[in-house]
Amino acid sequence: MLVNVKGLVKRYDKLVALDYLDLQVEEGEIFGLLGPNGSGKTTAINCILSLIRYDKGSIEIFGKPMKPNAYDIKRNIGIIMQNVAVFEELTVYENIYYFCSLYIKDKIEVKRLTREAIEFVSMEDYADFYPKKLSGGLLRRLNIACGIAHKPKLIILDEPTVAVDPQSRNKILEGIKKLNAEGATIIYTSHYMEEVEQICSKIAIIDKGRVIAQGTKEELKAMISLGEKITMELYELPEKNINELKEFPGIYSVEYHENLLEIKSAKGRNNLIHILDYMAKNNIIFGKVYTELPTLNDVFLEITGKELRD
Amino acid sequence: MSLGLYFMRVKCLLRNMEGIFWCYIFPIILSTCLYLGVSKLGAVEEFETIKIAYVVGEAQTELSKEAGTAVSQEQAELSHEVGTAVGHNELLSVMKAAKLSEDKYMFDITLCSSKEAVDLLEKGDIEAYIIGGDRPELFIKENGLNETIVKSFVDSYMQKQITIKNILVSNPEALNNGLIDDLIGQTDFVDISDKHKKPDNIIIYFYAILAYTCIFASNWGLEEVINIEADQSMRGARISASPVSKMRLFACNMLASYTCHIISVILLFLYMKFVLNVKFGDELAYLIAICLAGSLTGLLMGASIGFWIKKKPAIKEAIIIAFSLGCSFLSGMMAVEIKYYVTEKFPLLAYINPVNLITDAMYSLYYFDGHNRYFINLMLLMLMAAVFTVASYFGIRRRNHDSI
Repeated sequence: MLVNVKGLVKRYDKLVALDYLDLQVEEGEIFGLLGPNGSGKTTAINCILSLIRYDKGSIEIFGKPMKPNAYDIKRNIGIIMQNVAVFEELTVYENIYYFCSLYIKDKIEVKRLTREAIEFVSMEDYADFYPKKLSGGLLRRLNIACGIAHKPKLIILDEPTVAVDPQSRNKILEGIKKLNAEGATIIYTSHYMEEVEQICSKIAIIDKGRVIAQGTKEELKAMISLGEKITMELYELPEKNINELKEFPGIYSVEYHENLLEIKSAKGRNNLIHILDYMAKNNIIFGKVYTELPTLNDVFLEITGKELRD
Repeated sequence: MSLGLYFMRVKCLLRNMEGIFWCYIFPIILSTCLYLGVSKLGAVEEFETIKIAYVVGEAQTELSKEAGTAVSQEQAELSHEVGTAVGHNELLSVMKAAKLSEDKYMFDITLCSSKEAVDLLEKGDIEAYIIGGDRPELFIKENGLNETIVKSFVDSYMQKQITIKNILVSNPEALNNGLIDDLIGQTDFVDISDKHKKPDNIIIYFYAILAYTCIFASNWGLEEVINIEADQSMRGARISASPVSKMRLFACNMLASYTCHIISVILLFLYMKFVLNVKFGDELAYLIAICLAGSLTGLLMGASIGFWIKKKPAIKEAIIIAFSLGCSFLSGMMAVEIKYYVTEKFPLLAYINPVNLITDAMYSLYYFDGHNRYFINLMLLMLMAAVFTVASYFGIRRRNHDSI
């Protein structure tokens, strides 16, 4: 176990930010911490890094208790904050060099690692640029380079793609996968379920400071009853037909509004053929038809009763 | 590693244009403005040679009547005062010889007739004219400094002439006792010693600017805390998550700030001394020592505020600026009378005001022979620095925060 968080409680006056939070991160994983804004993701990260005090619980990293002065643990952690944390007065190269030199004593090694980090984030052409001259996406890449230059074993990324253009986002996500392939364990927090689904090998869904579900994305989706979501474009659908569709075996939700029919069915039921057959027999004209497998948002919705984006 | 962090921080500080402006450039602009303003205020108006006309060998009474048509009744009365005294054309030679300086005569005299003199006065080509003779008469067009000088000169000449004549009549032997020398010579009863400069309130303003610059270091001290504390900035959070001792990093950064700041103070001092020619006296080493102490106190004060005031960085910055300006105001930066008033009415406030301690130490070096007052100020300043050091030490010892 690389990171073991047990019963973590953090209160801000009357607000309970972390409510007996438990997290276990294995070596080599890309561990996704998924939850809406204000669910406690960043607070959990700050506690794990010993940046803030917590009221109860224990945190172990690399098998040792994490404390503010646990320098041997911190030496192997890389942190990429939600907001860009660099010095405006230093160039791209100098920023990476500076933060790397906080971890590595050998100057030659720091220089080598700095160059590698610049290559990793594809910023060779911007090495002498000051941060204020960089675009938002490039700034994010610099932020990442500053956090990973010292080749940490554990990298914590706290919503690194917020307000980033799609191209830079893809680069960042590819970079994370590459870091993981090179041996780093990743903790990745986000409220973008697509990103988490795309890169994480294990996911913890967090809400109101508690882990409400944990596992691989397949395991999480298996936890809910929804198996398939069928959507059809219809110009008209009488109430009688809606009620008849509801009687189909395995279908537990039929909703029709704004010319869209949404049918949710349980796992293991291939209802599409039966529905198309019903439409044909009843001369119901329909347009586009598409089916979707459940997403993490559906998981979140089924467990909490609200959308991830709420 | 520490040396590398120190130099990197120095690089950061010297590239921070805002910090450089307020610490390096603004005090220079301020002192230059003060210098320009003060040089106008302090400059003695330079006397120029006065153009007059002198009328020789005409009947005084007729001329007086003629002149009376050209000048006012008041001026005629003034001329009458002078004219009643006994005079000769010797006055002309005395006036010709009178000098303002080695190469500058007091009067530019045109010899002319009375009519020409009246014309010249009317046109404004001369300030006054004198009709010589036994009873010289002075005619002016309007009252002014130059007219007053001419009148005083003629009055003085006439008085001395009468006095000498009276003495010659009553006691001719007095001539051998140096009485004439006594009459001609002047004695100044004001003594200016070598050590004590003449009182100069203007220099206090320059001291106040130097002191303000020293205490401005508090902004840099605060910046160091913001950069290192996780609850103050994202950089602070990143640094706090790194395996470097915060105490060591803070010491490196503070040393870098102190280095850069003290350079700004010394540059300002050199600028004032060699470019603006501000007379700081002879004890420059003491002056620099108080600047070093002031800068250190300012830096540590800013750090203490940064550690212990639980507000957002912008609010802390506002507090520091208000505090620095308040201290500078109370130490006479805007009006020197405030400094005297505070020292007299609220001595405790004067003793706990770091800017006042700096200016007072500088003031004492300039005006007083001993160093007692200087050292009292220096010790108080160092005591403050020690208190702020302890406060900063306990501030940085806090390992983590309630929230960030």
